[in-house]
Amino acid sequence: MNENVPSSQQPSVNRRQFLRDGTRIAAMTGLGGLLGLMATRSSGQGTVWQIDPQKCLRCSNCATHCVLEQSAVKCVHAFAICGYCQLCTGYFEPEPNDLNTGAENCLCPTAAIKRSYVEDPYFEYTIDERLCIGCAKCVEGCNRFGNGSLFMQVRHDRCVNCNECAISKVCPGDAFRREPASHPYLLKTMSH
Amino acid sequence: MERPNKDLSRRQFFNQSIRGASACVAGGVALATLARAAKAGGDSSVNPFSYDVERASRVDPGLIKYEQVKRLSGLAREPRRIAAGPGDSLYIATSTGVDILHRTGAKLAQISTASAARCVAAAEDGTVYIGLRTHVEVFDRQGRQLSTWEAPTKKTWFTGLCVGANDVFAADSANRVVFRYDRSGKLAGRIGEKSQERNIPGLIVPSPYLDVKLGLDGLLRVNNPGRHSVQVFTPAGDLEFSWGKPSLAVDGFCGCCNPVGLALFSDGRCVTCEKGVPRVKVYSAERSFESVVAGPELFRENGRPGQVSDRSDGTLGGLDATVDSQGNVYILDLVAGDVRVMKPKA
Repeated sequence: MNENVPSSQQPSVNRRQFLRDGTRIAAMTGLGGLLGLMATRSSGQGTVWQIDPQKCLRCSNCATHCVLEQSAVKCVHAFAICGYCQLCTGYFEPEPNDLNTGAENCLCPTAAIKRSYVEDPYFEYTIDERLCIGCAKCVEGCNRFGNGSLFMQVRHDRCVNCNECAISKVCPGDAFRREPASHPYLLKTMSH
Repeated sequence: MERPNKDLSRRQFFNQSIRGASACVAGGVALATLARAAKAGGDSSVNPFSYDVERASRVDPGLIKYEQVKRLSGLAREPRRIAAGPGDSLYIATSTGVDILHRTGAKLAQISTASAARCVAAAEDGTVYIGLRTHVEVFDRQGRQLSTWEAPTKKTWFTGLCVGANDVFAADSANRVVFRYDRSGKLAGRIGEKSQERNIPGLIVPSPYLDVKLGLDGLLRVNNPGRHSVQVFTPAGDLEFSWGKPSLAVDGFCGCCNPVGLALFSDGRCVTCEKGVPRVKVYSAERSFESVVAGPELFRENGRPGQVSDRSDGTLGGLDATVDSQGNVYILDLVAGDVRVMKPKA
């Protein structure tokens, strides 16, 4: 330090401190950027199987070809699209005797759809995924006649993410595809 | 003393061996045949969870009173509604506007719109009313735009239009109401909304297929798909009566929400169009099932999985129809994108 210079005129940060601090900040910024890049890349590399609902043909292969005893593919419900129909063709047989919850009137082979009254003439339908076997029978009924609010999705709390999905090999609609693990579902959105 | 013949002779041994071997081969062949038959019976192509509407996919030929005489193709993309206009010309709402065809199929004109046309009606004086999703555009007979009518509600989704001498009726499927405008575009009434005072149960429209037609008797026919019926209103909005029942059988309306389209003959008979099991039928002026114009056999693509609701915005499945002054029915197939001209059988 120049002793001839009055203390009030000395710079608060000398050159050495400035260079040291600058190097530290640059190193921290670089490290942060590197970590961020690594995090982004690692999440982008992870992919999972998913069904494109626009391509699904409701063939029932999801129920019979998954390597799991009970398929990892389940019917899911987009409530925003649902018409809450009294005569839901995803719930009732094509020609039901009556519009009640009697087993003979119901379409689902495992009674996985629950029907509850909302207000005249609307009913809400919810899927019990523990019972759903992924046969897509309800999905076909809903899509054929209704809005298609019922559709098939691979549920990732069950799927073991095989390298080669056994269902995708037999999917007639070529509806299976790899999706980023960060966005694992292909959900239908409301159009009406 | 002669020794009893307990042992086999060489000849007997060979004979019995050959018999035994033959029996084994025959048994093997029989088992293989049975196994093959059993395998064929358990064919993996047979879907144990199939949604079975096979019974409805064929119509008793005796009920079909019309025959196809022509098929008009070459329409613009995504046709949604068809209407007959002056001189029996055909007006077809498509993704780019309205195609105007001669009844023979020759293209007469085209009116372009900024977005997809979802319904259309043509007045006797040639004025064309086109329903876009949120508003109605009015054109003169030369295709010049005259005016635009905004809807009085939010989230409007026009799917049906018809025009009378003094009124235009626009069906808004999102708000489950039919708007009555005068010919200048001034709103004159709302029809079909739920009202206990007027004993109107309300329209149930799960998917965007609300239609409206005006009969020569001055009454409006409005489909109520969620209730599987056709309702008849006065232009003032009073509900006169309704008819129809849910059924996969040919005299009812199938699925969750049908009919999706209507057309009227001059004598009051009503043509109904259904989706899911695509079929077009005629009901008498007395509201009873009369005949089938075309059954599902004619619309194989339309009834196939993946064809109905999974494209674009859910409004591209099913059928629509109109009739001309000769009693011919023109069926618009929204999936195949063509028009079938159906003539009454002699």
